Amino acid sequence: MGKRFSRDPDGAVVPRKRPKVVHDAPTSEEIHSSRQLQQLLAFSQDPARARHGLQSFKLFLDELLNPDSNDAARRKILTDYLEAVKPPDGDETPVFLPGIMQTWSYGGQTNNDNIMSAVAVVLALLLKLLSQSLDTVQYGLGICRTLLQKRQLELIARNLSADKGKAFIISPTLRMLKEAVTFDGGAVAPPLFRARASTLKSLARNLGIVHMGDEAEDAKRPSPRTIAVLFFLAMLRVLHPEAKKELLSQRDIVDALTRDVKQDPPYLVRELLDGLRSHVLLDDKLSREAKARLLTASTLTRLSALYHYRLDNAAENEKSIADIAHEFLMTACTNPACGVLRLDSGFYPREVDANAAVSSTVGGDDQGLEAVVRTNKSTKNEISIRNYTLSNFLLNLRPWSSVKQSELVTSIFKVASELVANYFQNNKSFNFEPKLSATWIGYAAFLFNVVTLPIPDCFCRASAFPELPPPTSIVMDNILPPPLNQKALSRSLANKSNMISFFATRILVVAIEKLDVAIKMHQDPVHLNKVIWAEAARRLVNEFCQRSPSIKDMITAYRSIPEGDILHREAASRLLRLCYEVLPQVALSASFDVAPFLETALRRLSKHELDDPRDFGLILKELENLLAIAGFSPGMNWFAAPEGLSLSPFTLLLKVCVDAPHGVGLDAIRQVLNSVAVEQRLVPTDGKHPGLLVLLEALQDLRQTSPDSLALLWPFLDNCLTRCANAPAKYAEEKQETSQIPAGPSASFVSPLLAAISEQLPFVAAKAEEKATIKALGRFLPTLLGLCATAGESRTLLNAMFSTMVTHLADSKGKLAKAGIPEGLQFQHNPWPPAPASGSRPGRVENSQVDRSGSKTEPAMNAEALENVLHVADHLDVDNSALVKWSSKTVDELVDEGYLASLISLLVSEHASIRKEALVNVLKAAAKFQQSEYEEKEQVWLLLSELAETARDCINDGPLPSPIVAFACHALNVLRDPLSNLYPRVNTFLTRGPVWSLDKLPLVDELLSEEPDVGDAYYSQTSWLLGYLLDGLRTPRDLQLFHKQRAKGPVFQRVLALAANPFMRLPLRTQVLRLLYRATRIEGASTTLTTRFDVAGWLEGRQGSCADAGEAALYGGLRRRIWETCDRDRLRALSRRGLDEGCNITVG
Amino acid sequence: MAPPPTKSDQQVASEFTAYYLQRATKEFAEDLDKVRAADDFKNDALQTLISALQQGTAMFSAEEKRMIVTAAAQPARKS
Repeated sequence: MGKRFSRDPDGAVVPRKRPKVVHDAPTSEEIHSSRQLQQLLAFSQDPARARHGLQSFKLFLDELLNPDSNDAARRKILTDYLEAVKPPDGDETPVFLPGIMQTWSYGGQTNNDNIMSAVAVVLALLLKLLSQSLDTVQYGLGICRTLLQKRQLELIARNLSADKGKAFIISPTLRMLKEAVTFDGGAVAPPLFRARASTLKSLARNLGIVHMGDEAEDAKRPSPRTIAVLFFLAMLRVLHPEAKKELLSQRDIVDALTRDVKQDPPYLVRELLDGLRSHVLLDDKLSREAKARLLTASTLTRLSALYHYRLDNAAENEKSIADIAHEFLMTACTNPACGVLRLDSGFYPREVDANAAVSSTVGGDDQGLEAVVRTNKSTKNEISIRNYTLSNFLLNLRPWSSVKQSELVTSIFKVASELVANYFQNNKSFNFEPKLSATWIGYAAFLFNVVTLPIPDCFCRASAFPELPPPTSIVMDNILPPPLNQKALSRSLANKSNMISFFATRILVVAIEKLDVAIKMHQDPVHLNKVIWAEAARRLVNEFCQRSPSIKDMITAYRSIPEGDILHREAASRLLRLCYEVLPQVALSASFDVAPFLETALRRLSKHELDDPRDFGLILKELENLLAIAGFSPGMNWFAAPEGLSLSPFTLLLKVCVDAPHGVGLDAIRQVLNSVAVEQRLVPTDGKHPGLLVLLEALQDLRQTSPDSLALLWPFLDNCLTRCANAPAKYAEEKQETSQIPAGPSASFVSPLLAAISEQLPFVAAKAEEKATIKALGRFLPTLLGLCATAGESRTLLNAMFSTMVTHLADSKGKLAKAGIPEGLQFQHNPWPPAPASGSRPGRVENSQVDRSGSKTEPAMNAEALENVLHVADHLDVDNSALVKWSSKTVDELVDEGYLASLISLLVSEHASIRKEALVNVLKAAAKFQQSEYEEKEQVWLLLSELAETARDCINDGPLPSPIVAFACHALNVLRDPLSNLYPRVNTFLTRGPVWSLDKLPLVDELLSEEPDVGDAYYSQTSWLLGYLLDGLRTPRDLQLFHKQRAKGPVFQRVLALAANPFMRLPLRTQVLRLLYRATRIEGASTTLTTRFDVAGWLEGRQGSCADAGEAALYGGLRRRIWETCDRDRLRALSRRGLDEGCNITVG
Repeated sequence: MAPPPTKSDQQVASEFTAYYLQRATKEFAEDLDKVRAADDFKNDALQTLISALQQGTAMFSAEEKRMIVTAAAQPARKS
C-alpha cells in the first residue's frame, strides 16, 4: 500500500508525518542554600531558566530521597526554603510554593510540555519526601490544599488529559496525585476525590496506556497504566466506604482497571490483587452492591486469565501469580459477602416456589404430580437462576485444563448448586467421547469432582424439605451431568485403554452413591406429599438408568480387566456392588455369575504372591464387594471346589480370614462367613451362639501357636465343612443321637460341624500318610472344643465327644486325654459378643442378634416400611400409547427396550376396544418379527402367535388373566437370551401346542416340581418364576387361579412351601412375601389366604424360626397387614380363640 | 487383638494417596505414556493428570484407607 498524502490549500502535497519532538535536556546546578533555591524556583518567563530551576530542585530532592543519604544540611536547606515561601497566616487562599505554581500555570498557557511535566515531577518527589517526617507534614498538607485550588485543578486535568503519547507528563502527574491522596494517612483524600472531575480526568484512558513489548516493563520506567493502577489502589486504601462506593461505580475506570492485567508486571499484579482483596473484597463496611460493581463477569474473566500469566518471576518460597489469582477468585466467587455470590434455591429453579405451588394442588395427588411434570417441562430448555454473573463467568473457564480452575468451578458449584445444571446446559459443546488425551483426562477429572459434590440439605437452602420435590432433570444433571450420557459412558467403559475404562468406572461409582443419597432424601419420612416424592424418586431412577450404561456393559468391563490390575478391579467390583444395592431391579435383570470372580480373588489371596501387603488389603476390598454381590445372587455354591482349586470357596474364604495380615479389618467377611454357616446349619442357629466365630477363633489361635499345623488342617476341614453343608439333616440327627447322653440342665447341644469332624476323624487316622494331620488335629481340637464350651455348648456332650476323638489322635502317652478340654478359654481374635451391626442396607447379610426372652409382643415393621420393602409397582399397568409406539421401532428395540412387553400388557386393559386393538397389533408385531432378521424371530413369532390365539376367543369377555400376560412378557425376556437357563423350558412350552390353557399358570408345575435342566439353576429359575407370578397377581380373578385346587395343590400353597426351604436366601424369601403383600391389595384376598392357607399361622411360624430381627419384623408387619385387610368378623366367627390374640404384635 | 491405631487419619490418608498413585501408575503405565505423548499434553497437564489419578481416593472411607495402609506383611507360607 502506498503512502497517503494530504494536500495543502495551494494543492501541494504535504506528507502526513507527525513533526518530530526534540527534547532538550535541561541544565541544572547544585544547591547549597535555601536562598539559592528560592531564586532558582522563583517564577521566570524564560522557559529554559524555569526548567533549569526545576531540574536542579529535582536532583536535590532525588539526593534527599536516596535512602543511603543522611544529609541534615540539605534537609535544613529545604525546610528553610519551605518556611520562606510559606504563605502568610490568615491568607484566605494560601498558595504554597507560589513560584512553582506560577511556573506551572505559565507552562500551561504557553503549552510547554516540559515545564508541565517538570512541575509534576518535583511536586511528586517533594510530597513523597515531606510525608516521611512529622515536622514537614504541615508543608505537605499546604501543598496538597494548594493543588485543590481551582487553578491547580485545571492544570492537573490538563496534564492528565495530555496526548496519549506524552507519558512524560501523565505519569508524574499521576504519581503526584498518588502521593497527595495518601499524604498524612489520606488527610486530603476526600476533597481530592470530590474534585474527581479533575483529579480522575482521563483515568480510564490512562489505565489503558500500557507498556509495549513482549518483555515485562522495567520497574524503573513504569508505564502510565502502572502508576494509574497504583493511584487507584491508593484511593481504595484511604477513601471512606461511601467514597469508595462512588469510585467503584465509575464504570469506565473499573472496566479499564483489569482490561490489560495479564500484561502488567508481576509486582503490579500482586499489588492489584492484594489491594482489591483487602480494600474491596474483605472490607466489611463496603456494601455488597459496591463490590459487585467491581466484580463483574468480565473482571472475573480477565483475572482468570492470570491462571496462565506468562511474566511471573516468583521466587521459590513465594506464591505464584496464578496462586494469588486463584485465591482471589475463590474468595470473590464463594464468599457471599463479596457481592458476587447470591443466595440460590439449590435444585429448585428460581421462579418455582415449591411450597406455594403445592397449596394449589393439595386437592389431589394427580394434580400435584401434574404440577411437578409441568415444572419439569419448563426446566427442560432453560433453568432460571439467580447467579447470572457467575453463570457467565463460568463459561470462560477451562476446568479441564487446570487443576485450579477445576477447583474454582467446583467450589462455585458447591456454594451455588443451581449453577451445575445451568452450566452444562450453556456448555453444550462439552463432549465426553473417550480419547486418550490430556484434555479427556481433564474432563473426566472435572466431571468426577462435579459428581462428588454434596447434594444440598433438603435440596435447597431451607431448613426443611419443600412440599414438592425438585425437578427430576435438575437432580439428574447433578448426579450425572449431561455430557455423561449412556453412549459416552458405555464407550468409555468398553474402551481398549484400561485407564479410560477406570475413569468412567470411578465416575459411575460416585454417581450411584450420590443417586442413593438422593433417593433416600426423596424417601424421607418427613415428606407430607409422599406420593409425589415417591413418584419423583421413581422418575429419578428411570432417568438414571437411561443415562447410565447397562449393567451388562459394567459386567463386561469388569470381565475384561487384567487380573493384576487390582485397583481397577476393586473399582469395577465396587460399581457392580453398588448397582445391586442401589438399583437391584436393574442389577438382577442381568445374569451375573459372581462365583468365577470370587474364586479368582480367593486364589490370589491364598497364594501369597503379593509383593506389597497393602495389595492384600485392596484385593480384600474387591473380595468384600464380590461377597456382597454373592449375597444378592441366588444359586451361589459355597461348598463345591471349583476346577483348579482344591478347597471350596467357603474354606478358601475362611483361610483368607485366618491368614489375613495383621490389622486388616475382616468384619464384613466374618459376617458373610457366619451367615452362610448359619444358613447351611454348620453351626447352632441359636441367637446367643457366636456361630462360626468359634471355629475362626480356634484356627487363629492355632496360627499363632503352630502355623505349620494349620497349613495341614485345611483339606480335612474342607472335607468336614462340605459334608456338613451337603447333608445338614444327617449331622443334625447325629447331634440328636449324641444328645441322648444325659446332659446338664443348661445347654444340650453341640455344633453339627463337630459331629462331622468326629465322624471323619477315624478315616484320616486310618491313613498312614496323614500322621502329620492327626498331630495337627491333636493341637487344634482341644482348643476348638474348649471354645465351643465357652460359647455355651454342652460340656457334657463335648467331653463325651472328646473322649471318642482322643482315641484317634495319636495320644499314646495319654497327655491329651489327661488334659481334657481346656476350661475358661476366651475369644482373643474375634469380638464376642459382637457389636450390633449398624447402618446396613436392605438385602445385606446381617448377623442374627435376636433376643427371644419369651416376650409376648413380637416386632413388626410399620406399614410404611413394609410398603417400602414389599410393594412392587404393577408392571402390566401401562400407558395406552404403547399401541402406537411400537410400530416405529426396530425389532431389537421392541424386545430390548420393552415396547413389545408394553403392547402385550395392554391385553389386560379394562377397555375392550384397547384389548382388541392390542390383539391386532400383537399379530402385526408377530408378522414383523417373522419378516425380520432377528436371531430369535421364530420363537418370538411363535410366542406372539400363541398368545394371540389364546386371547382371540375371550378378548370380548374381559381382560386376559394377568398370569398369562405376565408369563408372555417374562418369556419374551428369556427368548432374547439363548444362554438363559430357562431357554429350553420356555421353548418346550411353546412347541407343546398352539393355545395356552387360561385355567393354568404356565410353567409353574415344571419349575416347582421338576429338576432344573442346568445343574445349579434351581434358584435363578425360582427367582424368574416368582417374578412372573408377582406380575401376574392383580385382580380377584387372578387370585382364583392362585388358590384353585390342583393335582399338586394350589399354587399359593406351593409357593408358601418354597419359603420354608432353609437354603433359600433372603432375596427369594422376600419375593414370596412380596407376592403375599400383592395379594393383600386385592379385595377379599387376605380373608381367603387366612381361611384357606392359614397364612397368619404360616407367618407366625416363619417369624418364630427366623434368626434375623429385620426379617422377623417383616413377617410381623405382614401378619398385621393381613389382619387389617381381612374380613375380621368372618374370621372371628371361624376362629375359636380369635385372631386378635394371635395378632398381638407391636410396631417396631 | 489388633494394636491400637497409631497413625493419625491425616497420615493414613496421605500414605493411602501415595499407595493409590503408585498402584495407578503401575497399572496404567502404558496408557500414561500415551497421554504424555499426546499433542495436548502441555502446561498444567501433568498436574491435572496426577490430580485426576489420585481423586479416586475419595471413593474409600477413612476406615477402608486405614485397613489397606496398615496391612502388615506376613511371612509367606506354602499351603
